[in-house]
Amino acid sequence: MNAAIIFGLLLALMLTGMPISISLGLTVLTFLFTMTEVPIEAVALKLFTGIEKFEIMAIPFFILAGNFLTHGGVARRMINFATSMVGHWHGGLGLAGVVGCALFAAVSGSSPATVVAIGSIVLPAMVRQGFPRQFGAGVITTSGALGILIPPSIVMVMYAVATSGSQQSASVGQLFIAGVVPGLILAFLLGLTTWYRAWKNGYPRLPKASLAERFRTFREAIWGLLLIIIVIGGIYSGIFTPTEAAAMSAVYAFIVAVFVYKDMPLKGVPNVLLSSANMSAMLLYIITNAVLFSFVLTSENIPQAIADWIVAQGLGVIAFLLVTNVLLLAAGNFMEPSSIVLIMAPILFPVAIKLGIDPVHFGIMMVVNMEVGMCHPPVGLNLYVASGITKMGITELTVAVWPWLLTMLLFLVAVTYIPALSLWLPRMLGVM
Amino acid sequence: MLLKLLDRLEEVLIAFLIGAATLIIFAAVAHRYASGVPVLQDYILHWNFSWAQELCIYMFVWMAKFGAAYGVRTGIHVGVDVVINRLESRNRGKFIIFGLLAGALFTGVVGTLGANFVWHIAQTEQTSADLEWPMWMIYLAIPVGSYLMCFRFLQVTWLFARTGELPHHDHGHVEGLEEDLTDPQREAQDVNWYEMDDNLHPHDIAHHEGGKPRNRINEPKENDR
Repeated sequence: MNAAIIFGLLLALMLTGMPISISLGLTVLTFLFTMTEVPIEAVALKLFTGIEKFEIMAIPFFILAGNFLTHGGVARRMINFATSMVGHWHGGLGLAGVVGCALFAAVSGSSPATVVAIGSIVLPAMVRQGFPRQFGAGVITTSGALGILIPPSIVMVMYAVATSGSQQSASVGQLFIAGVVPGLILAFLLGLTTWYRAWKNGYPRLPKASLAERFRTFREAIWGLLLIIIVIGGIYSGIFTPTEAAAMSAVYAFIVAVFVYKDMPLKGVPNVLLSSANMSAMLLYIITNAVLFSFVLTSENIPQAIADWIVAQGLGVIAFLLVTNVLLLAAGNFMEPSSIVLIMAPILFPVAIKLGIDPVHFGIMMVVNMEVGMCHPPVGLNLYVASGITKMGITELTVAVWPWLLTMLLFLVAVTYIPALSLWLPRMLGVM
Repeated sequence: MLLKLLDRLEEVLIAFLIGAATLIIFAAVAHRYASGVPVLQDYILHWNFSWAQELCIYMFVWMAKFGAAYGVRTGIHVGVDVVINRLESRNRGKFIIFGLLAGALFTGVVGTLGANFVWHIAQTEQTSADLEWPMWMIYLAIPVGSYLMCFRFLQVTWLFARTGELPHHDHGHVEGLEEDLTDPQREAQDVNWYEMDDNLHPHDIAHHEGGKPRNRINEPKENDR
């Protein structure tokens, strides 16, 4: 009964269009004032302690690093490198865009940031080369989604935070390592789709780059590529915790952008700091209120009750995963990934654990799901960023992305039902 | 004048906090590994960085509280606006005002709860674990940040009621990065993906005059911010 009231209230408040953080907070306050004995003072403390975890601090650091990289010419050099490697195949620049997105995704934790960084360079270049605009927009919108699957990933940190109450929760490090293989496979599949469509339609290719050219572009891109080693290598070898790795990458990205590539003037730094702080604070505010919300849910035993109920329905693993996917895909029509993960994960996670689903596998599945949600209207962030870059309307873009979106959906099914895709690497490396 | 000062103070504070926190963690990690180097060991091993993590967390909590208030002013907070963006502008305006006032109500209540809480803590001798700062000073972020946010919500409501305009950060003109206009990337790089014409934010009335709210989504998003 309480569960119905809480969720009903939350849904009603959210639909009025107020910020998600506020609707979460107001739901909690209303509930606490009217229906329970939980001391209201606990709320104030929770508002502070909710984000008092060192892991959460990885989010602002990764956002800061991402902003320095987007402004700092790292993306352009990565694209040059990718172009010299794959530009001579069918789909030329389009393929280079996919590879560029995959490389940039490995240094940035956000999908829209990847679309901005890679798309703003590749898309105009593709149009100049004679590709239809739709083709380029489709490639970049969907490949940009790799940003949250290939580590580092802000959404994975959110998942780790949202489920950290449970004993069996997945750590940020485990999720990062688990994202590598699915990320590479998805990049390959998107590349394959691009290649096939380009081959069928006879889109332009580039002349094959010489070995010297490849080496030159590699040397230019090396500063950005090294960051991949710092983050993944650092976390895997235990040199850094994920949060420390995020802070290191922010400082490193700053040095590369300002002093090595010199693409960003020093006086631009305060603005990058301010806009990163703005975005981080928004996400941290949602986290604060989501923590409050799941605190109330837990104190009312709601996630456990839902878990028991679902298990009692005799829903098997396969059916549960199907329902979860449908639910998450539906949520992807209304909310952005961080909010979905923060609200849904604490509810779905106990069920998954009860059914014996691996927490890391479940996390990767959620992330892939979020990727799909980012690429279709009405709220797909990648789509809107791409629309901003290409000046194409959303409807036109929606049509443009479907071949890649279909690939992604098939990939989602694979990730959902083949746990080995996400679990093989972390098991082999012994991190779980 | 006073408002301008407050705006500026808010911006400087959060930009400083995120930058400083990054440097502190960087220094702490660098110190941890540099103390393993024999030559440096004697000089720096006795430096104590155990407080770094705690300080970083507190800085970020403060940044989160004040940044959230700044976020109201820049209109960055995301919501579920798919439904209300399909309403005609008069009704949409009512929902927007309701949402803004709800924000003011929530932050006002939380601010009061927080002030109460800080008052009680101040009676005790509680200090933080590593820095040993009095806890009430650290928790002060809740009431001050929340009241500031409440004020920002009211400010935005007032502006919207008068002009039909919601705040939007104009990222096309970030100061300091302007000289590089030759770079074709510059414009697109300043896109802030939480502040676009998506359905995560309400469409305001000044820029989306009634008429055909239904078709908005199909139009190219050119310069209408």
